[in-house]
Amino acid sequence: MFKLKNFRKRSLWILHYNAGSCNGCDIEILACLGPTYDLERFGVLNRGNPKQSDMLLITGPVTYRSRERVVELFTQMPEPKVVVAVGSCTCTGGVFSGMYNVEDGVDKYIPVDVYIPGCAATPEYIIDGVLKGLELLEHKSKEIVKPKKLFKKLSFHKDHIDRRGIAGKVGENDGKD
Amino acid sequence: MFEIIFVLSAPLLGGMLQGIERQLRARMQNRMGPPLLQPFYDMFKLIEKRPMIVDEAHTVFAIMHFLTLWAVVAMLVLGDNLLYVIFLHLLATIFLVIAGYSVKSVYSHLGANRELWVLAVYEPVLILFAVAFYLLEGSFSLQSIYSGQAHLFALLPLFAAMVLVALIKLGKSPFDAAHAHQEIIGGVEIEYGGVFYEFLYMAKWVEYIFIYTLFWLFAGSNLLLGIVLLAGVFVLLNLIDNATARIKISDLLKVGLIWGVGLAFINIVGLLYV
Ligand code: SF4
Repeated sequence: MFKLKNFRKRSLWILHYNAGSCNGCDIEILACLGPTYDLERFGVLNRGNPKQSDMLLITGPVTYRSRERVVELFTQMPEPKVVVAVGSCTCTGGVFSGMYNVEDGVDKYIPVDVYIPGCAATPEYIIDGVLKGLELLEHKSKEIVKPKKLFKKLSFHKDHIDRRGIAGKVGENDGKD
Repeated sequence: MFEIIFVLSAPLLGGMLQGIERQLRARMQNRMGPPLLQPFYDMFKLIEKRPMIVDEAHTVFAIMHFLTLWAVVAMLVLGDNLLYVIFLHLLATIFLVIAGYSVKSVYSHLGANRELWVLAVYEPVLILFAVAFYLLEGSFSLQSIYSGQAHLFALLPLFAAMVLVALIKLGKSPFDAAHAHQEIIGGVEIEYGGVFYEFLYMAKWVEYIFIYTLFWLFAGSNLLLGIVLLAGVFVLLNLIDNATARIKISDLLKVGLIWGVGLAFINIVGLLYV
């Protein structure tokens, strides 16, 4: 039967963000998108634009400098969306864990759907993780997903959710730190 | 009858063309590539996403851009005057530029600026293209071009200039600085999301049909030559796209003005005096 929902898993556009990683995993991600591993055969494209993306591929342990950016990029993506954490340092802090200028893992800030281990994560793992994310995308609803920190209440503008108002307040102290 | 069906299904045909193109480019790079219907899968997915409007005017201009381009294709196939078609196409581009300026986004403004720069390169070539057909046929009438003889050999320099225009217009490297994805994140299209981005996405498909129909004019009523010409141009554009890297916008202007406008101008002078 023809259902629009079925096409979520046929076409996936990626937003890749580096939250302070060592670039090891980023290079593996680019290798996946290149001709050798050819993620495009699943309809995957790297768009680099949060407003048109379905998946946030995030690397790095989240440095203090990049916290607001992560949250803001996440709020700018229209639902349904999935978040994939690539690399050990993104999942738990990895080699950076316990350092003075990083948070241990990205899931303190935004809800993560798929964790890909490895330092650096191999292209095979990344492909598996992305396809796992594709499966999850089918079961996602279109409700607004909220980040866990640095985020205030949803603001509204004439009955519509005002994303600009939300983005303007990202990073203000929310009393949870 | 055939023409009307062609016009009505122009976005569909453009989508098919883009699917074939993505497959062809993948094969050139020795990889599998997405399925043939991938552009339509993307379309359905975009429709299903949560809608997101940055600004009402911004969104309306994107829809206007798409509809005007569609009207351009209709006029090119059914209409009678080549010059009107070229100017209506200019209007479609202007809608896109206004859309780019209508949001407070630096990248969108940069994209709109660049859109205007490349307009200064390809618009003279398109107008000279119409003039050349006027010199050969004695009128701007499209129907007489479609039923006339093939002018490819009288217009070879212009043909080369049109290949350059096609590269710019369809956003192929080395001349894709106007939509550069890694540089200005798509330029004008950056602030669109969900179903509203769909209109710009489909506008690109219609643009494909517009450009390839312009190439069809070179063949006149010669069906076989037309098909060979289109297939050749299609492969050539993708080959160039795959084999080259992007050049800077300032270099694009230089190359475009010297080679594009230069070749078209030489062709016109040749038609007048030789
Ligand atoms: S997981 Fe290892 S290789 Fe990957 S970004 Fe982190 S430190 Fe670098």
